[in-house]
Amino acid sequence: MADAAPVNPPANPVNPDIELVARTQAGDPRAFDELVVKYSPRLYGLVYNMTSNHEDANDLLQDVFAKAFRSINGFRGKSSFYTWIHSIAVNMTINFLKKRGRRFQMSLDDVDLNIQNDKEFIELTATSSPVREADLGELQQKLNEAMQKLSPEHRAVVTMFDIQGMPHAEISKILGVSEGTVRSRLFYAHRQLQAYLEEFRKK
Amino acid sequence: MPEDFDELSKLLRLKRFEQPPPAYFEDFLDDFKDRQRAQLLREPAWRIAWDRVTAFFGGHSAARIGYGLASAAVLVIAGVTSFNILQTRPTPEMAALPAPHPAAQQASYLSLNTQAPMPGLPTLDSRMAQMAAGFPPRYVMDARPVSYEQPPSSF
Repeated sequence: MADAAPVNPPANPVNPDIELVARTQAGDPRAFDELVVKYSPRLYGLVYNMTSNHEDANDLLQDVFAKAFRSINGFRGKSSFYTWIHSIAVNMTINFLKKRGRRFQMSLDDVDLNIQNDKEFIELTATSSPVREADLGELQQKLNEAMQKLSPEHRAVVTMFDIQGMPHAEISKILGVSEGTVRSRLFYAHRQLQAYLEEFRKK
Repeated sequence: MPEDFDELSKLLRLKRFEQPPPAYFEDFLDDFKDRQRAQLLREPAWRIAWDRVTAFFGGHSAARIGYGLASAAVLVIAGVTSFNILQTRPTPEMAALPAPHPAAQQASYLSLNTQAPMPGLPTLDSRMAQMAAGFPPRYVMDARPVSYEQPPSSF
């Protein structure tokens, strides 16, 4: 159920997205439906982890696909569709977060119970007594609170790198910044998060 | 210290297990289509046209396109204004001529009477009327008659 495998751009040179995009540009809306079905879980994860709010994530995701559909004729294939749609999602979410400001309520999704079987979770609970002692709800709350203390740009980098497992190069393409900038944002964000999550560190 | 960040990354990766209700992604496409149709009905025509223009130029920033269009509009207006000014600029020959009297400007260009009437001097029309009545025309300069016509003899 959980999107456990790192989400990387399709490595296959014959990318099926190209055909789906071409069909959409030729006027076949069902081809775009296939792209929506394919990318909605990944993009939901990106937007949800940046907003920590299910309703906001849902609204934003609808807007992201609506904008992508309206702009599909402007997609010239200079980047992959994966990069293109991710950059629309990140930019729209960053703009939304800047407008939303600090006044919001978290509306968190349930934690999938498969987490109990996750190798990293088992490892963390075995080695870190604070993680073992905290219940899942508390851990989730703390992680989201810590994420919300980051700036939208730093949150975007942490979401893509740590949660979605994207490589630096892909993140730099999506954000339109250099890899050095991605690394420095990541370093700064990690340092901040480490301070916020001090209580969960290994003792 | 990278090892510390490794532990933090493992902690953050647990957020992958935060998932929406199971039916969420199954229903997402239908919800998206419904919302898209509703939006099309609500959206004004200019907004749809603007979206198409921005999509055509391939940019994500409508503000950038707007700035470009505004700059182009300013350039066009400046060009048209400059052209009009150049068209109405007087030539050197025209600049040497005396400024026409406002009354003369009202006269037709086809009329012979293009000279402005000078105060104290007979107009062309009045001179022609004098000649038609049998009187020779008299030319006056500095309030003294200077015409070559001899005044009528008093002998």
